[in-house]
Amino acid sequence: MPHVSFRERRFEGDVDYVVVGSGAGGAAAAVVLARAGAKVALVEAGAWREPEQYPSSAYGAMRDLMDDWGATVTMGRALWPVVQARTMGGTTVVNSAIAIRTPADIFTQWEREHGVGGEGLRDQVWAEQAVLERELCVEEVPVGSRGRSNELAMKGAEAMGFESHWIRRYAKGCEGTGQCLQGCRKRKKQSTNVVWVPEVMERGGLVLSCAPVSRVVLEGRRAVGVEGRFQHPATRELGASFLVRATKGVVVAASVTHSPVLLMRSGVKNRALGQFFRAHPGTGVFGVYDEPVDQNVGATQGWASTHYRETPGLKLETLSVPLELVASRFAGGGVELMKRLGQYRHVAMWCHAVRAESTGTIGHAPFSSKPVVRYTLNADDMERFRQGMYLLGQMHFAAGARAIIPGIAGLPFQLEAKDVELLRNGPTDPRKYIAILSHLFGGCVMGADPTRSVVDGEGRVHGYEGLVVADASVIPTNLGVNPQHTIMALARLFANAMLARA
Amino acid sequence: MTWLVRSAMCALYPRTEGLPGLEDCDVDGFLERFQRESPLLMWVGVLAGALVFHLTPVFTVFVPLPAFLLPVSLLDRHSSRIASSDWYLVRQAIFLVKFPCGLCWGEHPEVRRRLALAAYPQDPGTWRVD
Ligand SMILES: Cc1cc2nc3c(=O)[nH]c(=O)nc-3n(C[C@H](O)[C@H](O)[C@H](O)COP(=O)(O)OP(=O)(O)OC[C@H]3O[C@@H](n4cnc5c(N)ncnc54)[C@H](O)[C@@H]3O)c2cc1C
Ligand code: SF4
Repeated sequence: MPHVSFRERRFEGDVDYVVVGSGAGGAAAAVVLARAGAKVALVEAGAWREPEQYPSSAYGAMRDLMDDWGATVTMGRALWPVVQARTMGGTTVVNSAIAIRTPADIFTQWEREHGVGGEGLRDQVWAEQAVLERELCVEEVPVGSRGRSNELAMKGAEAMGFESHWIRRYAKGCEGTGQCLQGCRKRKKQSTNVVWVPEVMERGGLVLSCAPVSRVVLEGRRAVGVEGRFQHPATRELGASFLVRATKGVVVAASVTHSPVLLMRSGVKNRALGQFFRAHPGTGVFGVYDEPVDQNVGATQGWASTHYRETPGLKLETLSVPLELVASRFAGGGVELMKRLGQYRHVAMWCHAVRAESTGTIGHAPFSSKPVVRYTLNADDMERFRQGMYLLGQMHFAAGARAIIPGIAGLPFQLEAKDVELLRNGPTDPRKYIAILSHLFGGCVMGADPTRSVVDGEGRVHGYEGLVVADASVIPTNLGVNPQHTIMALARLFANAMLARA
Repeated sequence: MTWLVRSAMCALYPRTEGLPGLEDCDVDGFLERFQRESPLLMWVGVLAGALVFHLTPVFTVFVPLPAFLLPVSLLDRHSSRIASSDWYLVRQAIFLVKFPCGLCWGEHPEVRRRLALAAYPQDPGTWRVD
């Protein structure tokens, strides 16, 4: 019985290792363990959907793929959505598969501030990333799949004279359908549900879907398994309970918001649990062009720049946004809003992700496993945020836009080139902006000091045996680049370390 | 209560010469599906947003009537002003209504045809059971 989905009868299983969560971290760890001949169980809260079963609409994506319909928001000065998936494959199903190696300065920072990392870890991570790039077919977005929005962005960056590039992604022969957010129905994106989860099963592993783990089972300070109750993916009703016992170890990779909560609810004691949450909050500026842009044609994200990663701390990217989401994002209502929406074919959305230094916390609602994210950007980060808006505005005009739509409350809906300075001096109150958090870090951060970190440099929870965390929650700083490549590489290293200890 | 949500949605996304409005997009069928499939808290949020929409014309068009009793031109002015309110929590409440509006309107085949977008195939809504 290699795959067990929602069921009304109790399920029990025995394996060597159990991995909670099948996203970037969890699936990467599980496949390494399975390839070494271990019996692995991969336990995933969401349903397992084949690409043919992915939705096409944004409604379907919210319902079938997103965690809690994308309704988790930061509790702070502004209510910004914290976006993650809940499906077999985790957020790799809905992301753009952008693969960027971990910058060298990150390892120096980790060593200096957290006592882990340094050149040794750098070399190991980069070696793993080289393997991943081959295995997941990393390639530049093909010429024919770029689409006009991505091409205009390249033109804008060239006109402004800063370095930028066509994005390299885990996508083999992307056809440019602009549907990454809804899952790649063309099977081009190499998400973990397509590449690694089937392999775990083929190697004799056990896969549980629709199976949210409610507790890591501890015997004293040793993790011996996980338990929970199946949940129906459509009705959300609870089914039977399950218990998976693991003789060699439990790997928690349930994401930045869920891993800390799972450990808290399992009774793990650590003062740093749920602390040091970080993110790359981002938002976008629409450019309005005379000729149709048709941002839905071409790779969802095909162009990027890391030129401003260090100063002021920004990553710039294109992003094609489905009509449904543009319809609710454009300001206003009534006839005026409908006129604005009539421009859809002519708008291109480019966005920034801020390398924010602000920290927050992850907790959970009383009597519930629903994560609560407390987070507000500080003044320095808001300054970076504002500079990002200004850069994007300038870029659009450099690429020939007739106007821009910045989406900042209190400013006119549309600005012309002569007004772009309004962005430089724009508000620094987060409430004035519509932003989202999609790159998340921390909550179970790694470090040498058990009073300031949850796991050590091999992902082991301080003071516990057989309990490893292997997802974005261990990352102790922001990265300034897209995180998936780093998460996968770390997870593989942690899994190899587990095998070496066994 | 669904009619309150429906009327707020249709006022925010009215039919215009260029584009169909929500009333042309099988909004009743959509709302039935949305209420059934979305988390309860989300539906409560949408209801709260619709209430804010209906109870605030006195602040936007200075008429002490609920929005559903306003004549069309005033209703349109109210929709425009309330959705761009200076008060953050009011804007957020209206966003809660605009979110399902966008989902319903943007996926409708006629809207998509007018904006040169391919119609979506039916979302399968299925998953692997074996
Ligand atoms: C829209 C979007 C686009 C992005 N684009 C990119 C990109 O192009 N490149 C990039 O590098 N990064 C991108 N990211 C970020 C990247 O996808 C994430 O950082 C990464 O997937 C996080 O990996 P993870 O393993 O920590 O969590 P996830 O990949 O989110 O996986 C966690 C899994 O655990 C499951 N889970 C949660 N709780 C439980 C439980 N109790 N029991 C069992 N299972 C549970 C979840 O359902 C989920 O499947 C994007 C993110 C978003 C939202
Ligand atoms: S743009 Fe389309 S074809 Fe390319 S990876 Fe994304 S969903 Fe797949």
